[in-house]
Amino acid sequence: MLQVSSLTKVFRLACSKRARGERDPRERGRRFHAIDGIEFGVRRGLVLGLLGQNGAGKTTLLRILSTSLKPTSGVVLCDGEDLTKNPLEIRKRIGFVSGNTGLYGRLTAREMLRYYGKLHGMAAAALDERIGSLACKLDMDWFLDQRNETLSSGMRQKVSIARALIHDPEILLFDELTTGLDVAASESVLTVVAACKREGRTVLFSTHHMDEVDQLCDSVVIIHEGKLCFEGGVDAMRSQTGESFLDKAFLRLIKPKTEGSTT
Amino acid sequence: MKAGFQTVFFKEMKDVLRDRKTLLLMIVLPIVVVPLLLNLLIGFVIKKEQEAKTEVLEYVVFGDEFAPELAKTFEAANGFKKVTLGSPDELVVAIREDRIDFGLVIPEKTAAQLSGQEQASIELHFDNASMGSKVEDRVQDLVEKFNDGLTTARLAKLGVLPGQKQKSLLEPVRLRKQGTGKIREVIGDRIGGMVPYFFIAFCFMGVVYPAIHLGAGEKERGTLETLLLAPIPRHQVVLGKFLAVFCGGIIAVLLNLASLGTWLAIKAGELRGIIGTLIGSIDLLDLVLLALMLIPVAAIFAALLLSISIFARNSAEASTLISPFGIVLIVPAALAMLPGVELNWFWAWVPVTNISLAMKELLKGTMDYTMLVAILTSSTLIAGGLLFFCAKWFNRESVLFRM
Repeated sequence: MLQVSSLTKVFRLACSKRARGERDPRERGRRFHAIDGIEFGVRRGLVLGLLGQNGAGKTTLLRILSTSLKPTSGVVLCDGEDLTKNPLEIRKRIGFVSGNTGLYGRLTAREMLRYYGKLHGMAAAALDERIGSLACKLDMDWFLDQRNETLSSGMRQKVSIARALIHDPEILLFDELTTGLDVAASESVLTVVAACKREGRTVLFSTHHMDEVDQLCDSVVIIHEGKLCFEGGVDAMRSQTGESFLDKAFLRLIKPKTEGSTT
Repeated sequence: MKAGFQTVFFKEMKDVLRDRKTLLLMIVLPIVVVPLLLNLLIGFVIKKEQEAKTEVLEYVVFGDEFAPELAKTFEAANGFKKVTLGSPDELVVAIREDRIDFGLVIPEKTAAQLSGQEQASIELHFDNASMGSKVEDRVQDLVEKFNDGLTTARLAKLGVLPGQKQKSLLEPVRLRKQGTGKIREVIGDRIGGMVPYFFIAFCFMGVVYPAIHLGAGEKERGTLETLLLAPIPRHQVVLGKFLAVFCGGIIAVLLNLASLGTWLAIKAGELRGIIGTLIGSIDLLDLVLLALMLIPVAAIFAALLLSISIFARNSAEASTLISPFGIVLIVPAALAMLPGVELNWFWAWVPVTNISLAMKELLKGTMDYTMLVAILTSSTLIAGGLLFFCAKWFNRESVLFRM
């Protein structure tokens, strides 16, 4: 169970980054409230879709959940354990993949997976076995010994997912996983997400593609300008807005907020 | 199982050594480019020296009828060729245009002065802006030779016969210089300041690219974010990266020294003069000590540049931020070249300058080894302080996720 309560993240703004014209309502003086009092929970083995426009605060939220950023206030409990108290232990239970695959181009896929496995304290034999099983599962045996810089976007994303899964984490955080991928590559990657759900892992899945939400997510959280504006199931999104298409339902849910913020 | 920093270090070394730019700066430059440049530079200097000594100097004389013996001395000398020019007014232009090398103007009164046993003055016109010009020395030698003959004749006329008596009259007290400095010390003092300057510059070059690649480069490629999620303390990540950057500097320095040592061993027999003497006096132990001296410098550079690189948003910004340091860090190294700046207990605590001065002392063969304590202590403290700062820097969200 992952429980987020009253989560806030405030950044100090550099002078050059302050708005000159129309001000973002999250900008207060020299401070930028990227995440403002967000609360939600996700049960083990479920897929939670994290939706929001560009700059809504999804990546900041995922960075906090992955322990890269510390929250300004609020609490994140991972099976009852506070994320900020012992981040090194929490990291062993979390895997994170971003749209920017973040691979070492000069290493082969196998070398990179070994590197992250070693960083997670895995023994050599167990690590090799794990790499073998992931390669089989993600269909990456044939390019495992190629340098990452020579791989296609889809192949790179598979390596990135394998890196996040190398230490067998309970919770997976996917940030715009299919950005820049073609249909076949996207489908292949989404199959992996579905498999993670079947394996009983908790998945937080940030995306702009509503078909992916429809296909994979058990529940949805919508963030708009750093604040939570919807939490519920996919069906609740439709019923609450009266829209059958999720794209339209999403826009209806954030629209009153958008209008409110500009007046 | 390896500690986290070891895992990071071995991975970073593998990554860095697979990069062509790094290999070029760290390996190709010292092994190929440095000996090639040294060969060209020293070959050029020797060639120019030879040319200046043996080059035929074209000259004009105005008023040679007022000192015919002097004029004959020039005509008879090897390496001088008399040419003609319209008038003395054209001398400056002719020298500037390189039509002649020098001109002598003998005033009309010279004849009377010489016959009257008085002192005469003649003018030498030459290009004194040219550093490599030997005109002044070669003309001076000929005039002195002419003067010696004339002095001997004049003294003989006064009844002082050539030999010991003339010498005692001309130079009643003769100063015999007995320098206590060995030739190695003298030469080491003159050019020993330049050697550390080059090695420190090579060390800097060896560190720059790995620092940019492992700091700002990681941010740019998006790999830093995933690395930060590894369950190891961030100071271990920094330590692993620092060691890889530091090794880059050390490899560059060791290869430079090995390359230089090999080159010296091959060339020592061929080179003569000042360079030959200095090269002949440097042995393997000196090269080993020079390498040891550069270890703290590499540590300081690695910690400093890694801090800057981690702060930068991307490689381009890191390069822009690091470039001025290339000049700033070389200044303390260049201080060792200034006259009067010697290794003492004050300078032994000044970073980079202390290493530069210590290397100079090593080359001179006058190193006070007790100073090594201060030098290594101050350098280690500074490198440690910078590394601590770098680790603190690496824990700051505002640095890692600069907006």
